[in-house]
Amino acid sequence: MIGYIEKIKQISERLLKEGTVESVVGFRKGSMPMMNEPCIVKRPDKVEALVWDSNCGINLTNYLTNRKDKIAVIAKGCDSRNIVTHIIENKIKRDQLYIIGVPCKGMIDKRKVSGLAEGEITSVSEDGDAILVKGNGFEKTVRKSDILQDNCAICVHRNPVIYDELAGDLVEEQKDVNRYEDIEKIEAMAPAEKWAYFEELLSPCTRCYACRNACPLCYCPTCFVDESKPQWVGKSQNDMDIRTFHFLRAYHCAGRCTDCGACERACPQGINVRQFTKKLEKDCLELFGWEAGMTLDERPPLDTFKADDPEAFIK
Amino acid sequence: MAEWEPKIVSFLCNWCSYGAADLAGVGRMQYPANVRVIRIPCTGRMSPKFFLAALREGADAVWVSG
Amino acid sequence: MEYDQAVPLKYVINPDECIYLTKGKCGNCKKVCPTGAVDYDQKEETVKLNVGAVVLSPGFKPFDPSRFDNYQYSNYKNVITSLEFERILSASGPTMGHLTRISDQKEPKKIAWLQCIGSRELNKCDNGHCSAVCCMYAIKEAVIAKEHEGDDLDCAIFYMDMRTPGKDFEEYYVNAKEKKGVRFVKSRIHTIVEIPETGDLEVRYADENGDIQIEVFDMVVLSIGLEADPNTVKLSEKLGIDLTQSHFCNTSAFEPVNTSREGIFVCGAFQGPKDIPESIVDASAAATAAGQSLTAARGTETKQAEMIPELNVKGDRPRIGVFVCSCGTNIAGVVNVDAVKAYAEKLPYVEYAGNNLFSCSQDTQDKMTEIIKEKNLNRVVVAACTPKTHEGLFQETLLAAGLNKYLFEMANIRNHNAWVHKDAPELATQKAKDLVRSAVTKVALFEPLEEAELQLNQTALIIGGGLSGITTARSFAAQGFETHIIEKDAQLGGQALCLYKTTTGENVKEKIVELVDEINGNEKIHVHLNATITSVDGFVGNFKSTVDENGEAKTIEHGVAVIATGASPFMPKEYNYGKDPRIITSLDLDKKLMVEDPSLKSMNSAVFIQCVGSREKERPYCSRVCCTHSVDNALELKKRNPDMNVYIIYRDIRTYGEREYIYKEARKEGVIFICYSVDNKPVVDIKDGKLTVTVLDHILRRPLEIETDLLTLATAIIPNQNEQLAQFFKLPLNANGFFVERHAKLGPSEFATDGVFLCGLAHYPKPIPEAIGQAKAATSRAVTLLARKTIHTSGQVAKVDPMSCSSCMVCVSVCPYSAPSIAKEGRFAGKAEINPVLCKGCGLCVASCRSGAIRHNGFDNSQIFSQIFTLSQVA
Repeated sequence: MIGYIEKIKQISERLLKEGTVESVVGFRKGSMPMMNEPCIVKRPDKVEALVWDSNCGINLTNYLTNRKDKIAVIAKGCDSRNIVTHIIENKIKRDQLYIIGVPCKGMIDKRKVSGLAEGEITSVSEDGDAILVKGNGFEKTVRKSDILQDNCAICVHRNPVIYDELAGDLVEEQKDVNRYEDIEKIEAMAPAEKWAYFEELLSPCTRCYACRNACPLCYCPTCFVDESKPQWVGKSQNDMDIRTFHFLRAYHCAGRCTDCGACERACPQGINVRQFTKKLEKDCLELFGWEAGMTLDERPPLDTFKADDPEAFIK
Repeated sequence: MAEWEPKIVSFLCNWCSYGAADLAGVGRMQYPANVRVIRIPCTGRMSPKFFLAALREGADAVWVSG
Repeated sequence: MEYDQAVPLKYVINPDECIYLTKGKCGNCKKVCPTGAVDYDQKEETVKLNVGAVVLSPGFKPFDPSRFDNYQYSNYKNVITSLEFERILSASGPTMGHLTRISDQKEPKKIAWLQCIGSRELNKCDNGHCSAVCCMYAIKEAVIAKEHEGDDLDCAIFYMDMRTPGKDFEEYYVNAKEKKGVRFVKSRIHTIVEIPETGDLEVRYADENGDIQIEVFDMVVLSIGLEADPNTVKLSEKLGIDLTQSHFCNTSAFEPVNTSREGIFVCGAFQGPKDIPESIVDASAAATAAGQSLTAARGTETKQAEMIPELNVKGDRPRIGVFVCSCGTNIAGVVNVDAVKAYAEKLPYVEYAGNNLFSCSQDTQDKMTEIIKEKNLNRVVVAACTPKTHEGLFQETLLAAGLNKYLFEMANIRNHNAWVHKDAPELATQKAKDLVRSAVTKVALFEPLEEAELQLNQTALIIGGGLSGITTARSFAAQGFETHIIEKDAQLGGQALCLYKTTTGENVKEKIVELVDEINGNEKIHVHLNATITSVDGFVGNFKSTVDENGEAKTIEHGVAVIATGASPFMPKEYNYGKDPRIITSLDLDKKLMVEDPSLKSMNSAVFIQCVGSREKERPYCSRVCCTHSVDNALELKKRNPDMNVYIIYRDIRTYGEREYIYKEARKEGVIFICYSVDNKPVVDIKDGKLTVTVLDHILRRPLEIETDLLTLATAIIPNQNEQLAQFFKLPLNANGFFVERHAKLGPSEFATDGVFLCGLAHYPKPIPEAIGQAKAATSRAVTLLARKTIHTSGQVAKVDPMSCSSCMVCVSVCPYSAPSIAKEGRFAGKAEINPVLCKGCGLCVASCRSGAIRHNGFDNSQIFSQIFTLSQVA
């Protein structure tokens, strides 16, 4: 993965020099290990700041919303699917975009790495599948496959679905992964068990809305939780209000969510917020044969009306 | 103690089910009095917000028909 | 009251049974009626009306099978008619929809339907016609019965020919047979024998192999036919109109709703046995025919209603009036209306609460108007019956009091409450209070709404210049409307020009030439030949279509459009078509008949093969006209050469209605009918110059080889390429490629898209009289729009709040009516906007809008939420 960076810099420099784009959205090194941060490069001589490794989990589609300039973006499989959704939803035009596709082998879950360390981590470097974690007084090598973000471990669209140029060779897609093992487990629970499970799951939530803000699908001028006329969901820490927020956030993502993991990654409390969106992602696949962001030609099933929709499952 | 009766909120499409409920009246079909009907212009109007709100307001069941 | 759906829904006294009227005693009803509506002295009155046209729609009489001793309908309890079975299946019927048999209330396990009871029968009754609807209703009843009772219910239909030539009917039949497991037995049952101990019924029949079978059923349903009512026959004599052999109204193919007497029109089953969509088509057609004859008088009897200026109450604190209706005893007999009124008085913003005995009576309306004015009310709730029937009436009351009509809400405490909770008056009163509270809370949030007014372009555009299209144009022009016909060919007339004559004997070509001359001579009709539509903009009342006419682009502005694009004959590959000049299609034969081809007289033998390309996997529908067409042409051949051996090889002969008489005539004239099944089709061979058809004879069960001089293939009718047009006007197509009407039964000649209408073979294959009927019907539906200069849209539509809009275009994508779009200019360019004219107020976009940017007038989030929020309060 780290091998892509030279190609990314080369392409970015060329695009900025030739004036194909006015800016490039990518990542630069953050101030903490495993915390690469998004950046916008506007001058060819600044492309050196760009980085690419397994710590680029943030979904860059967020930075494209309502932009008016011509812009290049570095896109993993999931990013590219969100870009497709963005184009469909009128958030940016295809001809404004230059997509630098990055075939992806998964991003590191920094919480999993921290869990393995015996103290503060000072640096994390990678060499293929080997991840070297260094800290104050310890050093450890772990296999990347053991510390992948949960969504990356079950990802079946690692290659970008839409791009203008690739920064590396396409990778083999994962097959025989059960994407919905966790959801199936919840589906099998008895109602009381489910209730207890969700009560437990959401108990740490502080309604900071980090999940919402990290999500490329959330771009409304006024979010439903902030509506006041009528105010039908309270703004408190009340259990009901918290649940209402999570349920409806998931509904708003139904048929659009690519399971990019941005929400879960952003949650400061480490809540598996993907459990909600994933259930609806699974439903969309099973009921409509739909995966979000795979084509520019069709809107998500819940966004369309068809007179001949069989909807056999509703009967 | 009286037997527990669920509170049911129903959202009925103006064009079919609401009219069907009217006809049930015309036919004098008897049913328990624990349903409260909210007329909506079409089941397409039904938003997940309504389900959640009704359940939060104490409904034991929400019935959408259209 | 004869039935729950009677209009008006009012009681009348049966003078034959009333004790007061017959014996002068009782009189109780007059004593208890709170409104004094009972008047024993009411007598029949003769009212003289001066009218310009009369439409006859007296309907039919269901055949009474008690005159058949072999079915013992009067004596065997478990032998019932199909209409009685309908009632048993009906949720509002005598068994509340529970399927039981009459003798012992046992749930039947085996039911038989006997077809053609009182139809196609000249031995025991005089009904030689086919009743046209019984096959389909029997299948429907069997399927519904199975859906009610589960798959172990055995349903068997005993028939002569299954006649399912209507749109989507054949598919329904095949589905019933193959998926639902309904048994179909080709046999006419002679006698039913009751087993006295059990009440079960023994039926004896010959199966396909000719073996006698005896089967015992729990119930037998007689599929009774439609016949002319003797009273109608008497009326017809008085009116001096001609009847047919079966005593239905006699009409011609080209004027299917005109009786023999000028100014008198006919529709429905009196015109001939028919089902719902055809009756609806007829009804609209009769309206056109009558309207056409009354064009000069249009609007002369209209009275202008007085308009009361609307008070501006915007921003005023709500002052709500609640009128609680007793509806006589309908509500007050169960609900404590005084308690409800007292409860309403205490609700927020309620300034007035009152009780009405009958809110809908004229004097109460006037009283309400006064109260609204006097108490200065600006919102009104009526707690009474259903808004479905009475909202409009009370809105008028608001208008009369100078209020915007949308400041009104009903609480349905009758249909949804008093009537259905008769035995729980306390709970019903509680519920009534809840419903009133809900309505009051909602109405407080209402704002006055505006209705968009739209100028209507009074021009019609007809796409397709075939018989349907030109009939439509003629009707439009006769009623004074400018009309454009778009025809893709170089001449008008379409496929009908290839037809020799109608079943009733009229020469088609001559008639069409006459019609086309009339069209060309009419200055209101503009004919565009070699023309196709290339784009369509706009919406009801204001369409703008671009037409390519001989390579030149023209723009036509029109208020309505009629799709009359017709259909085409199927060109077969099967049965060696194209390999021998003796193998032709039905239309080829018509051509030979038209030119009086001398070879027709010298032939020894002719064969017809039916269902070529129809009723097959690839094209599952029945083409409807081919059976009649072949039988007709077989008779023509016999006429030219009585010695000719004429064979018709068929699957089911579908000469529905009075077409059955020509089927009978054909058999009388010696035409030989041989039945085949779809999995054992006839084989056509050409060997040594000999043309032979080999078919398994259904009676002899032996292959039959027929040498013939002429083989006519009755080919399917296939839809034209309609996709582009469908896209232009946003019209749906079915799996077979025909257009899908607004409603299969109740809206056969119009589309769900406002301002677009449908007729002719673009809808489904049909013979000339039906195509003409539908053309007139489409005109009738369109004229209901065109006759107005403006249209008012509903105020209850969706509206975008551009500040909240995220421009994601969900609304644009999700709307079935294309009402939302993205604004191209103005302050809110790039944001969604909704055209109130196109909006049907369904609220799909409101629910789909993640940004909460769409408001819904009359059903806004805040209003529906307020109703939800009142649920947790306790009255």
